Amino acid sequence: MAKNRTTNSIRNNGVLHAAGARLFAPVAAVLAVCLFFPFAACAANFTARLDRDTIMLGETATLSLTFEGGQPGNVPAPQVPGLEISNTGNSSNISWVNGQMSTVFTVTFLVTPEQTGEFVIPGMEADIGGQRIQTEPIKLTVNKPGSPSASQINSGSQIAFMRFNLPDKKVYPGEMIAGQLQIFFRDDAQNPQGLQLTAMPADGFTVGKMSQGSTERARIGDHMYSVVPISVALTAVKTGTLSVGPISASVLVFVNGENGNWGPFGGFFGGQQKQVTMSTDPVSATSVPLPSINVPPDFNGAVGDYTMTVNAGPTNIAVGDPVTVRVKISGRGSFDSLSLPSHTDWHDFKIFTPTSKTETSDGLGDEGSKTFEEIVTPENANIHELPPISFSFFNPDDGNYHTLTQQAMPLLVTSAGVTPIPTVAGAKTENQTPQPPQDIVSIRENLGALAQAGSPLITRPAFLALQSVPVIAFVTALVWRRRTDNLANNPRLRRRLAVQQLVASGLDDLNKFAAENKSNEFFATLFRLLQEELGERLDCPAISITEADADERLAAMGAKPETLNSLRELFQACNQARYAQVQTSQGLSALASKFKNTVSELQELNA
Amino acid sequence: MRRCCSILAAVFFCAGTLFASDVTGDFSHANQLYAAGKFSDAAKAYDNILNSGAVSANLLFDAGNAQFKSGNLGRAIAAYRRATVLAPRDADIRANLDFARNQVQGTTWRQTWWEGWLAALSLNAWTAIAAIAFWLALLLFAAMQLRPAWKPLLRGPARGLAAATVFFCACLGAATATHFSNSVAVVVLPDAVTRSGPFDDAQNAFAVHDGAELAVLDQRNGWVQVSDGSGRSGWIKSAQVEILPAI
Repeated sequence: MAKNRTTNSIRNNGVLHAAGARLFAPVAAVLAVCLFFPFAACAANFTARLDRDTIMLGETATLSLTFEGGQPGNVPAPQVPGLEISNTGNSSNISWVNGQMSTVFTVTFLVTPEQTGEFVIPGMEADIGGQRIQTEPIKLTVNKPGSPSASQINSGSQIAFMRFNLPDKKVYPGEMIAGQLQIFFRDDAQNPQGLQLTAMPADGFTVGKMSQGSTERARIGDHMYSVVPISVALTAVKTGTLSVGPISASVLVFVNGENGNWGPFGGFFGGQQKQVTMSTDPVSATSVPLPSINVPPDFNGAVGDYTMTVNAGPTNIAVGDPVTVRVKISGRGSFDSLSLPSHTDWHDFKIFTPTSKTETSDGLGDEGSKTFEEIVTPENANIHELPPISFSFFNPDDGNYHTLTQQAMPLLVTSAGVTPIPTVAGAKTENQTPQPPQDIVSIRENLGALAQAGSPLITRPAFLALQSVPVIAFVTALVWRRRTDNLANNPRLRRRLAVQQLVASGLDDLNKFAAENKSNEFFATLFRLLQEELGERLDCPAISITEADADERLAAMGAKPETLNSLRELFQACNQARYAQVQTSQGLSALASKFKNTVSELQELNA
Repeated sequence: MRRCCSILAAVFFCAGTLFASDVTGDFSHANQLYAAGKFSDAAKAYDNILNSGAVSANLLFDAGNAQFKSGNLGRAIAAYRRATVLAPRDADIRANLDFARNQVQGTTWRQTWWEGWLAALSLNAWTAIAAIAFWLALLLFAAMQLRPAWKPLLRGPARGLAAATVFFCACLGAATATHFSNSVAVVVLPDAVTRSGPFDDAQNAFAVHDGAELAVLDQRNGWVQVSDGSGRSGWIKSAQVEILPAI
């Protein structure tokens, strides 16, 4: 490749004069580094190169013109008789190096040979930044496509070559066959890399996937070859004579040196890298039309050998509910062109566009399965089954048409919004096991009761507070019961409460009689209240209380002298009133007040 | 004052009615999309209704169906699980949840038998039953205090209700503890990888598949520590899962 590349550059290296002085050698070195690179970056350069120096007729090569250091004043348009050279575009790249801008401008041409032979693209001249730069001529060899002759192969002159074969059989349109491409590498051709099929013309075939097999060894003449087999999937698309080729390919290999030996470090030091262009002869096959008799009515062009499985679900649905129908076609053939048979008799169904998924089990893609998934919805409740599904294909191996049929599948379709009536099972035997569901239960038509969004009841303070109501009710009832029981079991307590109630109401009466100045009623009430209070305090009948008895017993209970005096005064007032009933309203009120205070003091005594 | 209250009540009633009618219309539209086989669109329509604040067992059930048909196994299981919270004994919801769970690949967390037993009733149902038993028991005891003559008649029922109260309160306590302390993360992406720590560059722990249900152990900075059915634990991004109460 190096010889194809011509370079003519002008570099301004005037500053190197400074390096001559020994005293200033370090300074000169720094200056060289600082100054040389900027100038080098902006140096003009013009390069012309071909990507390959040898091609087959029918192939193309790429010519690149690269301008560095500035925009070219003119872009030469090479013209060579026998070569068609057309501009395919240009590109530019700008970069900064050590503060200097560097521009690379590239123009590419497509070189298409019109005949075989050796061609020379003459040197071209371009004006870059006022500098006229010229490239050197480039040589291009165009060979006739085709595999080398047997004598060339046997002589061992071919570093690499290839052959292409088709199965020796008649093919049908739509049938997929595997072409065998074999690439031979001579033993001394090391480390082949960059294998590229540059041309693969096919007339009447569509080229599909390729699959590389494991490398084999073969002896041809006096040389051993490594054989790389590649299978190519070809699908016939028409009848008549079909052809493939000539197939062209190029590969980069390392070959040994002139003396035939490899250096101690292999191809890097003892051999040379070489690009090899290979080609095959055209190979033809005969395609015959498909038989025109016994063609199934639903045949839609499928050629191969297939089986079919169908499943659908759910089968217990309402009108308008979707049923998913899955048709899986497995076997050998061209799956890309396989299509689902049309359902011409599915009148009562709404059919949605099916989807498909292909899974192949080999590298060529001619074995595997294709699954079609189709959604259909029944449009009325009178439907009781999914109609039969059939698929027809032509098998090239036996030359006959075949039809695969899936019988009608029962459907239970109910009116929309009506829940299907469950099947009532008869006597269930032990061997009967419930069938697993085939699909989910369909959607519900009614929204149902909207739930209250919010935290659970247990976390709501109001709910928790409400739970105290029965507790309070129970505690209240319990307290009431205890109190009632206490009263029932304690006569003194019951008497004390009764006397307290009597005194409270008697005080009201006393105040009323005092206000009305009714001394008789006042003193009668006062005396009765004193007896009741002292009887309760002294735990004796009220009627039997005397002043002297009360004095003595109250003093024993720890009554204060003031209390006893007040009590005596009250008794004396009651006694005096029997004989002299002259009292003012104020005097009666004062006695009532004194009675109240005395009773309070008496009630504080421990009985 | 009374007039203002009447106006406010009327406004709330009208707003509630309009909201319900809007939800019903949207729900019907979503159902039509589902019937037409536009499952993804239907799923979005159901989600929009749910995002508006409306929620019902049937709505969640249909949303789960649409997600299931759209191939979103995890989101379907999450919707079914939410539906079971509102209607724990709905056979259709249980059937679809089980059907969806059977499609899930790999190991997945399964609730214990007693959690399954507690899940037969919603938390609010447990609360209501326990509260009713509590109220009846205390009212009977209060009646026995107020009317000692009724004691022979009420003693048996009151003791039975007291025992029931203790039992239902224990169940409520267990359900509440499980509801608030145990969570489940449902994986809602086709494939996800758990990591050994809550970091993007942490080492991979194990892979989980769409629809896998994982016990939640911890949550931290957008990561959830989960454990699968086989006892393995790892951290997964919270965006890859939907976290739900265990019951």
